[in-house]
Amino acid sequence: MALRARLTQIWAYGSILLVLGVVLFLFVYVFAQGAGTISPEFLTDMPRGAVLGMEGGIFPAIAGSFAFTLTAIVLGGIPAVAAALYMVFYCKSRKKEGLLRAVIQCIAGIPSIVLGLFAYSFLVRDMGLGRCVLSSGTALAVMILPFIEVRAEKAFREVPLQVVQSSYALGCSRCHTILHVVLPTCRGELVSGIILGGCYAMGATAPLIFTGGVAFAAPPDSLLKPAMALPLHLYLLVAQGSTSLSTAYGTAFVMMAVILLSNLLATLYAGRSRHR
Amino acid sequence: MGRTLDRLFSIFILLLTAVAFLSLAFVIYFIVREALPTFAVVRPADFLFGQRWMPVDYGMEISFGIFNFIAGSVAVSLLAMLIASVVGLGAAVYLSCVASQRARDLIYPFVDLLAGIPSVVYGFIGIVVLLRIFMRAGVHTGSCLLAAAILLAVMLLPFLVSSCSETMLKARRSYLPAADALGVDRWYAIASIVLPASRKNILFSMILAIGRAMGETMAVMMVMGNANLFPTLLGKGESIASVIALEMGTAVAGSTHYHALYAAGLVLMLLVFLINTAIMLLRRRLIGREEG
Repeated sequence: MALRARLTQIWAYGSILLVLGVVLFLFVYVFAQGAGTISPEFLTDMPRGAVLGMEGGIFPAIAGSFAFTLTAIVLGGIPAVAAALYMVFYCKSRKKEGLLRAVIQCIAGIPSIVLGLFAYSFLVRDMGLGRCVLSSGTALAVMILPFIEVRAEKAFREVPLQVVQSSYALGCSRCHTILHVVLPTCRGELVSGIILGGCYAMGATAPLIFTGGVAFAAPPDSLLKPAMALPLHLYLLVAQGSTSLSTAYGTAFVMMAVILLSNLLATLYAGRSRHR
Repeated sequence: MGRTLDRLFSIFILLLTAVAFLSLAFVIYFIVREALPTFAVVRPADFLFGQRWMPVDYGMEISFGIFNFIAGSVAVSLLAMLIASVVGLGAAVYLSCVASQRARDLIYPFVDLLAGIPSVVYGFIGIVVLLRIFMRAGVHTGSCLLAAAILLAVMLLPFLVSSCSETMLKARRSYLPAADALGVDRWYAIASIVLPASRKNILFSMILAIGRAMGETMAVMMVMGNANLFPTLLGKGESIASVIALEMGTAVAGSTHYHALYAAGLVLMLLVFLINTAIMLLRRRLIGREEG
């Protein structure tokens, strides 16, 4: 009896320490190994070297990742927020709500590599867009749609019902209520959901490989051109073997820093609006 | 004017909501459309249960059998889920039953950072850290199923920790005060009341985690060795997602190879859908009855 209790105790403390240790290790390891590579030139230069990427910087990959992420946020974030609004404020039948929820869950379940296949067949081939930021961005948009929808819906449901009802009772239309009461109230959560969705899109490689991410390109100046991306660049550097190890650490450093900062920003932003 | 605006806004919202439906329909349509021609060449049973994958004619007869890849995906996901559950559940016990609200508010976002790390970074760290350890332990080249499963387990942790501790927090709130009042040892109460009471939901989270793990591509691909073998713990293996990611770039558009990769994608998608639907139905049936 007592043994079982003690074992549970050891297990719980051991596990939480292990989990926290793993998180700490991942960030500290990448930051420690990558710090030596990071310099203003690394962030602003083109990849160079006998084996491309061995030397030089990662500027086109940073710019490309930015383009992919922004495209995904615009294409995926807007329908996601709209679907959440529909779910909370428009839908009156439980059946429709259940159906929409099932659809969102299904989309969340689609493996990201399958979204790459989809974008390849639909956009790259059928629509004739070729490999470009838009093709990949669409795949990423579908990927982050459920991610943002779930967070937006949660934020909308936390708006006190009295506030919404009062607005209706004062004669405000649904449109007015949403734009002037609901959205300002949960702006923090909404923005933080979108930031985290953007992070999720930024880190994805599988949907880019054959739809618009390439090994080398100039910083993108059009949605219809292919571009480099940080995670794909890292993958290719790693595939090249040990010669590109230091630039690989540098690239990983940049991504981990973006993740850490975005999470911090999202937490602060969500917290700030809640306390106001 | 206000009413027209309101009407327009509703239509706008409705149209955008339809985008969600459309994207699911489009994904399924395009994957199925590109997958079907495979089965004009290969019988579905041979495709699913065949062990030879020779997509390009190098003198040997071409054949398309993805059984080893399916087994690889399932094995690595299952193993990752088991590893992640042991650690994740323990951490959830701590978070739900021991930690103060303040500690929880600090630890949750910290653990959630794991979910934000790109899978390529996991793969990279897997190669430079995990594979070296395995190599030193005597595994040839280091890449193996176990290494991929450990890496994947870390990626599953944030999901398992948050969903399990949420469940256990509920159980703890309804049972632990009574146990405390009776003077029962806290850890004994956790082991014999809180954990069994959350058993079902924990099981659901574990199965859902398998579904999530199966869709993972990059990290698994980078450390699993990518050889068409039946998966063994310390042997190389290849997952469905890896085959697609590795070969899509070289498959000639419109060839059977190309279509077979879509068919593999379809199988992967169906596997995940199957798991998710089964959980949804089970949850409705088991939990719905208890909680009304």
